[in-house]
Amino acid sequence: MLMCRDLAEIASDYIDGELSDRQNLSVKMHLMMCKDCRTFIGNLRASSELMRAHFSGKADDEFIRRIDERVPEALNTRKTKGNDSD
Amino acid sequence: MDTAVRPESETSMIEDLKRGDATAYHRAVRDYSPGMLAVARFYLDHSSAEEIVQDCWVTVIDAIQKFEGRSGLKTWLHRIVANRCKNRLRTANREVAMDFSEILEPELANRFNSTGRWDLPPKLQFHDSADTLMENGALSDCLDKHLSALPETQRSALILYEAHQQKSDDVCNILDVSASNLRVLLHRARQKIFLMVETFQETGEC
Repeated sequence: MLMCRDLAEIASDYIDGELSDRQNLSVKMHLMMCKDCRTFIGNLRASSELMRAHFSGKADDEFIRRIDERVPEALNTRKTKGNDSD
Repeated sequence: MDTAVRPESETSMIEDLKRGDATAYHRAVRDYSPGMLAVARFYLDHSSAEEIVQDCWVTVIDAIQKFEGRSGLKTWLHRIVANRCKNRLRTANREVAMDFSEILEPELANRFNSTGRWDLPPKLQFHDSADTLMENGALSDCLDKHLSALPETQRSALILYEAHQQKSDDVCNILDVSASNLRVLLHRARQKIFLMVETFQETGEC
């Protein structure tokens, strides 16, 4: 029988739909009977969504700016080389 | 990604990049650099990782001409970064250290009794949606702090999988880890964030 600790070990696999049908069924049956694990799964899922929201649009502006400066230079060098070889 | 299902915006961006359009590069640099940096940070320290990503963009200007679209643009860029990082590690004769031995975070593992039942179950439900939680500036700062404290391997896996929504197969390929080890990295990282949010909700402290 699946215990709470076993479920905690495979909780991310359950959330991401990575479990086999059989494992998935035992998790679902356990969750029907165990309120604590339902809370745990719900909170782990919320943590994952939180990170997704947190990461979206995150960029280090200074780092991006440095690349933005280098790329046009490299583009110009390439164009110049292309013209030379014509 | 199959070329047949490539979004139109990506197809036109690839064409613009092949033409050397500076605006397209500006957009691509902004969109793809954070993910590329996450890949590089899996392998290298921060400044080497930034250097590799910058160099990669210069390489891309030529390499994009040969891009045939067998994978998505993002996956292609991530692979270039990963290969460069692996080469650098090979030259330096170093390897990425990873620990896959424990699936549960010790702090969570200690909350179960010897029969495998919860001794200290989660008390609160994270009711709020992610967006509402993110409006809490203090929580957002706390999340930043904890994400920076994650081992690079876990953070890179998390960023690629959660933020950039790359498929598991692609993440495994790019980070050179097995599917089961990727699952461990992701699960360990999520548990840490779960524990952090729980403490924050219970005590208001980071």
